[in-house]
Amino acid sequence: MAQQTLSMLRRVNRIVAVLIGILLLICAGSVLLDIVLRKMGSSFGGTDEITGYVMAISTAWGMGYAMLELAHVRIDFLRGQVNRVGRSLMDLLAMLVLSATVSVIAIRCWSVLETTLANGSRANTPLETPLALVQIPWFAGWIWFATMAWVTFLAALALVYQGRFEQSEAAIGAFAEQDAAL
Amino acid sequence: MITFVTVGLLGLLSLSIPVGIVLFLLGFGIDTFFSSFPLSKGLGRLVWSSSNSSTLIAIPFFVLLGEVLVRSGLAARTYAALDRWVSWLPGGLVHANIATATMFSATSGSSVATAATVATVAMPQAEKLGYDQKLFSGAIAAGGTLGIMIPPSINLIVYGFLTQTSIPQLFVAGLLPGIALAVSFVLATAMICAVRPDLGGDRRIFPFSEMMRALVDLVPIILLFTVIIGAIYKGWATPTEAASVGVGGAILIAALFGGINVRMITEALAGTVKITAMIMLVVIGASFLNFTLSAAGMGQELRFFLEGLGLSPLWTLLVIVVMYVVLGFFIETLSLMVVTIPIVVPLVVNLGYDPIWFGILMIVLIEMALITPPVGLNLYVVQGARKGGKMSEVMLGSIPFVLVMTLMVIALIIFPDIALYLPRALQ
Repeated sequence: MAQQTLSMLRRVNRIVAVLIGILLLICAGSVLLDIVLRKMGSSFGGTDEITGYVMAISTAWGMGYAMLELAHVRIDFLRGQVNRVGRSLMDLLAMLVLSATVSVIAIRCWSVLETTLANGSRANTPLETPLALVQIPWFAGWIWFATMAWVTFLAALALVYQGRFEQSEAAIGAFAEQDAAL
Repeated sequence: MITFVTVGLLGLLSLSIPVGIVLFLLGFGIDTFFSSFPLSKGLGRLVWSSSNSSTLIAIPFFVLLGEVLVRSGLAARTYAALDRWVSWLPGGLVHANIATATMFSATSGSSVATAATVATVAMPQAEKLGYDQKLFSGAIAAGGTLGIMIPPSINLIVYGFLTQTSIPQLFVAGLLPGIALAVSFVLATAMICAVRPDLGGDRRIFPFSEMMRALVDLVPIILLFTVIIGAIYKGWATPTEAASVGVGGAILIAALFGGINVRMITEALAGTVKITAMIMLVVIGASFLNFTLSAAGMGQELRFFLEGLGLSPLWTLLVIVVMYVVLGFFIETLSLMVVTIPIVVPLVVNLGYDPIWFGILMIVLIEMALITPPVGLNLYVVQGARKGGKMSEVMLGSIPFVLVMTLMVIALIIFPDIALYLPRALQ
């Protein structure tokens, strides 16, 4: 059950990641087009502003995928010194702390959206973008990340409880060194 | 507060809690214990404003550029072409490793991606031609580190964002030291192999006509680099715009070389989102920590702390350099950079040093961290691409390059103009 949940999360988040990737690709395309148009004397205007929104939304929605792919960097110097049970417990602790922290972040993000909704705020720019339009998907991304984190934590907890340490390590272990970029 | 942050940082990191999350936790700690205002109330706004950034979107664009290029099949051709040009030096093919790594650094913003790409195409050659694997693999690990120095560099974008220094200027500042490092790597290899020919391989001399033919394969990547950096340098485009041009160029190159298909594009896109989210978690965490530290008066505390130590600026700088070398044994690149920036950069600027120059110095130190054991990411990447052999061989082979980097650190401190000449000329 825990294992199925985890593979489903991974599948869903992979789709989310590709969709976000496509969004970024379209965004790069529009910046490119804007440069060409500028050379020809016209311009979309506001590309700058829109790329910012795309970045905020992409960041929020990509977090869960990065987490499930074990991409969020952890220093596993001490972790490498302990046995399998110790490693699993450290992984669970890290996951619990991550879930709690991300939940706090998501709750704090709500206050931003709440103010925007209450005031009907618009961006202080020529586009006058209604901020709710971009902050709702952004906030939803953080809620998504928090939800993914808690579900993953519970699934891994179940695996550890059942003594399936290897599977739990595959789900919430430290990143594979070769895969970590930068 | 300094003790709290340092102990908290090291303690939480060693528990292997994700680096980005540690930064948030420290921010909460500062808020709880050292501030009279409820700083955490501003967290939501900070998360929004630090990710709603048309500057930072250059990160996914540059990552995507690199992902596409790496998967395009261009690396093998570049390697073969550079082999024609540089393998006449004592050490043979080892120089092609360094040159290919330099070339890919110039378009990719990531050191690990660079090392992985070069290792994949180069390592089979080492076996085929019977090279001693130590220096051969060490050269790939070291050459790969140039990815974060030679622009475009994702690490420099992050540095510029967090310290509010100009990213175009940082890019330009990294150019000379990056090239100097690449040349020094080549010189060091040639010197070692002149003395100990058994560590390298046969010198390979190709007819001139073949060299000229090989040049064709180098054109796309040189062109791409020139367009990206030229546009930023001349002020025609922001880094974000240049990056989007780069993405377009990389897709075009991949299409020309027949490396493009739906599977490759989805892999590249998913990889880009993963890396971007990973970077952004630490960047947003660092922004929050930055904000709480400065609101709680960390700057002033640091000033008092320094005055109390009574060290001259140069000595303080040397202490910082040693700290990076030591931390670099255990903590990796971007994390090392991001967790130290909120504390170290204000301190260094306070001492009267130029933030652009310090950014470049920090990059050299972080490049060193990439190839110093026990935690040196590039060492693992190169080892991963080898078939068998001991990890210690890669480590041994990297030692000459660590020494070259140490010399570079000293040179940068004595002659800051290595980094600052070009940015000044730009203004």
